[in-house]
Amino acid sequence: MLIQFFIPSKLSSSVYNEITNWAQLIYAFALIVGVFGLVKYHLGRVSRKSDGWIYNLVTVVSLFLMAFLGFAFGRKDGGAFMWIFNYFQAPMQASVFSLLAFFVASAAYRGFQARNTEAVLLLLSAVFIMFGIASVGNSIPPFAEIANWILMNPSMTARRGIFIGVGLGTIAVSLRVILGVERTYLGKE
Amino acid sequence: MGFWQRARYIDRRIIFLLMLLGVGLPLLTNIGLPVRVTRDVGNVYDYIEGLNPGDVILISYDHDTGTLPEMIPMSDAILRHAFSRNLHLVGMALRAEGTAIGRQNFRRIGAEYGREEGKDFVFLGFRPEITAAILGLGTSIERVFPKDDRDIPISEIELMNTVRNYGDIALVISISDDDTPVYWVNYANARFKAKVVPAVTAVMATTFFPFIDSGQIRGMIAGLKGAAEYEKLIKIPGRAGRGMDAQSIAHMVMIGFIIMGNIAYFMSRKGK
Amino acid sequence: MDIGFIYDYLIASERLGIWIAALLTLAIYSFLYKDNPIYRFAESLLIGISVGFLLVTTFETTLMPKAFEPLAISFTGIFGSGGFGAFGSFLWLLVPVTLGLLMFTRFVPKYAWMSRVALALYIGFGAGASIPANMQSYILNQIDATIRPFLAIDSFAAAVNAAVILVGLISTLSYFYFSKAHTGIFGKAARLGTFYLMIFFGATFGYTVMARISLLIGRLTFLLRDWLGLIS
Repeated sequence: MLIQFFIPSKLSSSVYNEITNWAQLIYAFALIVGVFGLVKYHLGRVSRKSDGWIYNLVTVVSLFLMAFLGFAFGRKDGGAFMWIFNYFQAPMQASVFSLLAFFVASAAYRGFQARNTEAVLLLLSAVFIMFGIASVGNSIPPFAEIANWILMNPSMTARRGIFIGVGLGTIAVSLRVILGVERTYLGKE
Repeated sequence: MGFWQRARYIDRRIIFLLMLLGVGLPLLTNIGLPVRVTRDVGNVYDYIEGLNPGDVILISYDHDTGTLPEMIPMSDAILRHAFSRNLHLVGMALRAEGTAIGRQNFRRIGAEYGREEGKDFVFLGFRPEITAAILGLGTSIERVFPKDDRDIPISEIELMNTVRNYGDIALVISISDDDTPVYWVNYANARFKAKVVPAVTAVMATTFFPFIDSGQIRGMIAGLKGAAEYEKLIKIPGRAGRGMDAQSIAHMVMIGFIIMGNIAYFMSRKGK
Repeated sequence: MDIGFIYDYLIASERLGIWIAALLTLAIYSFLYKDNPIYRFAESLLIGISVGFLLVTTFETTLMPKAFEPLAISFTGIFGSGGFGAFGSFLWLLVPVTLGLLMFTRFVPKYAWMSRVALALYIGFGAGASIPANMQSYILNQIDATIRPFLAIDSFAAAVNAAVILVGLISTLSYFYFSKAHTGIFGKAARLGTFYLMIFFGATFGYTVMARISLLIGRLTFLLRDWLGLIS
């Protein structure tokens, strides 16, 4: 764990550059490790014929197909790899995310009740933003101004409080890591 | 169960259907509700407008494909503005999917303005580790990206001869659907004094107001609405402006849901 | 050998792509009615394709130009004109590559501990880099921006806003301070903090609604315009 000691101290710029380079490579390898883990999991389910294994097979086959096309024919614009990206991956991913429009509507109807002071504030703030930022309300000066005031004052300062809290917490954890007190990330107590 | 009780537990598919109509019907018509330009988007526009031809903007595509309907209109508007002002553009991505999107966008809009890859713009590619990549660019772009996305060494690209690190870049724009621009602020701005602007999904907008207030960022473009404002500023209609009618009306539908939900809640409680 | 022309033929047919994209979009939306095999098929397909995409992109844009190609060049250099210098840079490059490859020992329980070496370096890097950045950006700049307005108060409104922000910051921080019981004056401050947080969450919800509707607009525009041609 001695390595950790080196990182935050005053490094010569070349060592610093090497470390940033290494971190990128290690992270890239970690992504590949993640992909292997995923393949292993899905193949395991296929070989055990677990419930819904056919879907795991779909995942594995499409992954291998994509990898084959990418490695064999490259990522050039207009190639098969990019064609699948543009007409399979992008529209599906965007559709999955847009499903949330329906679920927030359902949540707004069922969950947004003015039960107490906190809920009233939450509700009013949400309505003013929805109406005053990207709606006809944005062209009606008082509404636009109220929405903007909420954003730049009470809402902003609460977010700032979260930032400062996160900042202090991160520094504390980082110091613990560097001093070797914090080792849970290595799977130790 | 009384009427209000039943109204509270209405089949959610009815809500889904109303939402679909609230967005779909305005798309089929063309109402043309007004779009007002906000201060934060105006600041970004003014800053880019004030740059000199040949100045360099770094645009990082830090997003996945899930949020494309918000990302592409923002990217299109910014690229059109920059290319029309004869600015030079350097593209990159901190997300794998952003690489493919960014590269295609650069070439598509570059072609609209007859710009040449390697001379007027270059797309560097993808780097997976956010912190290390942003810090690395502060000392040497070439170290982080030895080659561009076409596999051409950086040293052989005309544009990159004069662009070595943040010191040669007038503005960094992170087009993102998560908190990656926060890293740009924390590392590129706090450490290397790079000027940063987030172009983010609306979901992320509230995260950046403290940075606007503290002057750490120059402005912000948030979501489809931000893109529509930018389209208005550059006077080139695009997909964002078209969507604004639907956006506006869908928000009304949503506020209607909240009001109806509350009426049903209080009436059903009164009925008990 | 480039046999990409076989695909080029298919790809020329953009129409086919639009049909596929439209049908897959509808397959995803079928979930709104209820969970069904078509949705699950599309979902599994999506996972496979996006992970495959990530694999190829990471390998070709990062690992090839930054690790394997330079390794190969310096390796051949050793036997060419590079000599000792090339050997040095080869060894130097080998370090991060080896560390990266050690991550794969995670799949072999007996040697899994080896992956921790790379992890330690990586976490150490993150910890070291984050301290000055957090201090500057999250703490000093934010406190500065909270106090500075008091030095330039020129109107009643400016004074009110500055006070709203300062009170909000102190009360929000009180709420997050868990080392002291939330009672008495401190408890009141913490409760005020929750009010501020609720306003923030409300604003964020408002913006989230905006974002999700924008995404739906994007998909419906695709279906109505590109696929069905109902709008121009």
